[in-house]
Amino acid sequence: MKKYLYILKTQIIKSMTYEFNVYGNIIMQTIIMITSAYFWRALYTGRSVVDGVDVGSMQTYIIISSALSVLLITNVERRIGSSVEKGSVATDMMKPISLFGMFLAEDIGNIIALIFQNMIPILIIGTLMIKPPLMADVRDLPLFIISVIESFLINWLIAALFGMMAFTAINNNALIQVKKHLIRLLSGSIIPIWFFPDSISGVLTALPFVYIYQLPLSIYIGRGERADILMQMGIQFIWLIVLSALFFFAESRITRKVMVQGG
Amino acid sequence: MRKAFDTLGHYLDVTGQEIKMAFMTMIEYPSNIAGWFISNPLQFIMGFAIIKFVVESFGEINGWNYGQLAFLYGLSVISHALSMIFFVQGWFMGWYVIEGDFDRYLTRPLGVMYQFFFTNINIFGLTDLVPGIMVFIYGCMKSGIQVSVMFVFQVIIMLIGATLIRGGIYILLGSTSFHTRSAVDFGQYTQEIMDKTTMYPLSMYPESLQFILTYLIPIGWVSYYPVSSLLGIENGLSGGMTTALITLAVGLLLMCLAGAYFRSGLKKYESAGN
Repeated sequence: MKKYLYILKTQIIKSMTYEFNVYGNIIMQTIIMITSAYFWRALYTGRSVVDGVDVGSMQTYIIISSALSVLLITNVERRIGSSVEKGSVATDMMKPISLFGMFLAEDIGNIIALIFQNMIPILIIGTLMIKPPLMADVRDLPLFIISVIESFLINWLIAALFGMMAFTAINNNALIQVKKHLIRLLSGSIIPIWFFPDSISGVLTALPFVYIYQLPLSIYIGRGERADILMQMGIQFIWLIVLSALFFFAESRITRKVMVQGG
Repeated sequence: MRKAFDTLGHYLDVTGQEIKMAFMTMIEYPSNIAGWFISNPLQFIMGFAIIKFVVESFGEINGWNYGQLAFLYGLSVISHALSMIFFVQGWFMGWYVIEGDFDRYLTRPLGVMYQFFFTNINIFGLTDLVPGIMVFIYGCMKSGIQVSVMFVFQVIIMLIGATLIRGGIYILLGSTSFHTRSAVDFGQYTQEIMDKTTMYPLSMYPESLQFILTYLIPIGWVSYYPVSSLLGIENGLSGGMTTALITLAVGLLLMCLAGAYFRSGLKKYESAGN
């Protein structure tokens, strides 16, 4: 455990090396957040409630979605991709720690740095420039936290699974893009899927993507009945178990497949 | 004069070879081709579907109906695809700077900017182009456009202008890395901002934002102004060739600015050893 904590700590220090990155990221994310807020305000002109959500909740949704996106940054897929492509995966595997444990520790370290560099500034800017993103019902806070932790894990497992495809495909850049677009468009991070036609949103609720962004955000803005939310959290938990099982199965398979030039 | 032609000929020759090599690298990893053929069309088909769902939930967006939005989206995706083919490198400039990769280009007897963009010409951008053209044709049919020679000519000039604007923005953002010596993932961010500002009518945003996007960061010229002129939507712009030419002029101006900024940045560039 101690070894992983060291990796985590090193990653936090690494993330703080490039100072300009912090400002660059904050500026760009602020622009995106404000454009999105105006976007929804413009769509809602002349309408007060659409699909059970009013414009104020939608703006909270946007702010929290921007903040949440910081927690859902993963690097594991790129790390696996480049270590397979360059062949350094062989030496990585010789280290006395688990390969994926190391990647997870690195990602968590990165996120801890980003919470201070990115998430808190975004929440402050959102509060000042758009509106204070208050939670609809504070009693749901435990549910929100649990669902955020699960969504982090689901997101990380999906990234790791896509990353593992590098072992068969050697180059997984394009697959990373597929994953990125699936999550971007089907998870409700930009446009919530309750605006989609019923048949399509029905299919999407069966897929894991909506449980990454939309479920925690719905809990936050208080959309849906409590029974419905609890049922969705059940599905989220089932997906977490399914993806973990897939992950451990794939992990045991790929370590046997490692192919390095000359060996 | 003769010498200038020789140089131009040399550059064209090299470009031909570069494109050939780009094709070779493209087929290096077969699974990668499959991946790009899925990921890019997927992105735009889903994006297009989302516009439809938004229109179904909210009705017309600021007076623009679904056909007009499809037209706007199509034109925007085409210019996006073209900018991806020629200028996508701008997104990754930061990584080249922090890893010292510009050294390789500085030692060769060709323009650095030319080499940077053409040695890595992105043929995969074609997978963006096809869905873009499809949506554009669909939009043309839906909004009842009469296709004439003039129309085609206008669209082509506008697309050149729009591609240059996008490219100029990528290069301007990427060149900041020379000064800051760090790599921000501008690609992801610009795409997100461009999605919101070029695929929906600009008129839905407040006046202040419209002003910024027209005069300071001319994203409005990428698709909104050209399309409103082509579709004859009232916003004080004259139809005909004028808007197309303004778009082109804005693109050229931005490209010149970006080029100058790139050059000034390159002077600041240093790596191990100098």
